[in-house]
Amino acid sequence: MAKISVNIDEKNLEVEVGKTILEVCRENGIEILTMCHLKGISDVGACRLCLVEIEGVNKLLSACTTKIAANMIIRTKTEKIKRYQRITSELFFAERNHVCSVCVANGKCDLQKLGYKTEMDHIRYPYLFPECEVDTSHPWYVLDHNRCIMCTRCVRVCAEVEGAHNWNVMNRGNKVRIISDFNTPWGESETCTSCGKCVHACPTGAIWPKAIVQGQLEKKPEMITELIEKRKMNL
Amino acid sequence: MKTETLTSDADLAKDPRIKLISAKIKKENFKPDALIEILHTAQNAYGYLPMNVLKYITKQLHLPPSRVYSTVTFYHFFSLKSKGDHTCLVCTGTACYVKGAQAILNEIEKQFSLKPGQVTADNKLGISVARCIGACGLAPAVVLDDEVLAKVNAEEIVNKINAKIVES
Repeated sequence: MAKISVNIDEKNLEVEVGKTILEVCRENGIEILTMCHLKGISDVGACRLCLVEIEGVNKLLSACTTKIAANMIIRTKTEKIKRYQRITSELFFAERNHVCSVCVANGKCDLQKLGYKTEMDHIRYPYLFPECEVDTSHPWYVLDHNRCIMCTRCVRVCAEVEGAHNWNVMNRGNKVRIISDFNTPWGESETCTSCGKCVHACPTGAIWPKAIVQGQLEKKPEMITELIEKRKMNL
Repeated sequence: MKTETLTSDADLAKDPRIKLISAKIKKENFKPDALIEILHTAQNAYGYLPMNVLKYITKQLHLPPSRVYSTVTFYHFFSLKSKGDHTCLVCTGTACYVKGAQAILNEIEKQFSLKPGQVTADNKLGISVARCIGACGLAPAVVLDDEVLAKVNAEEIVNKINAKIVES
């Protein structure tokens, strides 16, 4: 495989072509915050947390959707990026009802960890708190729209790994919601196979198995990555 | 334009408008990529997209239902609810607003007790608003059943709407 040299955070690296900036950073121990990325499934650049500065490009680019190129000089920890990450995480919390104390994912939530990492001590934006439903129609799982951050990991896992295409996104702007089939209750969906991959892909407490109480949720997103890699090995 | 709600699949099979859609689907070779074009045909045939028509299209194109629904709800052109036999679109762009678009809407609300986005109980009339229809020189502009009316006043519009309703 052809190698190219790049510079990330003042470190010179020799990397393989065809990889994204995010992959290269993760392989070389450079931390990049993400919410919508899940190793193995496609990237959409929805969460805007992995923004990086590239010299010669006058806007920030998302590391997960930008392919690495020769002689790129990339910075991942500048003051500007830190400020943007903090704004992004505040906007996540300002939109829906992310109340940790009553959430099943409390203590194990990626969104909560993001808040700590970006040193978010308060939220400068007005809370929107749109009226969201809680879909408990599925016999095993619950979908709580209040805790959803629209990362669409469940949508992609369902389409790309399970191949069921149960999930998608409806409307736009602050009316966006995750839907199953024709906006039918999850329990009445004709495409859902109840495989539970979306439950593990969800980074927050938006999708969770029933009969679980506050702070008891255990999610294993790495299980999905493992599954994808093992499938590739079989091929 | 008829917009009565369809209820069963038997009704659907009898409907001549479904032939328009299935012809379009065949013309597009059952390609899932042609979803938007086919939805356009359906919307033009029905005035909106009834649920069982969506289900029919989904089945024919072998698409996941959620994909079809997300496409329909993403574009403002598509509507899941009937817009009414007659539609009255009031432009509320800057020029029309200054020239009294709000007075027109108020008068319509007074006469027909309809707010923008609503349809009368008998499905005869639907009111909607647009940010700008790009006819600022004609302000205030109203589009009544695809006919652009220029420099209108509230009274005039109410009379025209009444005439349309009586006509049908």
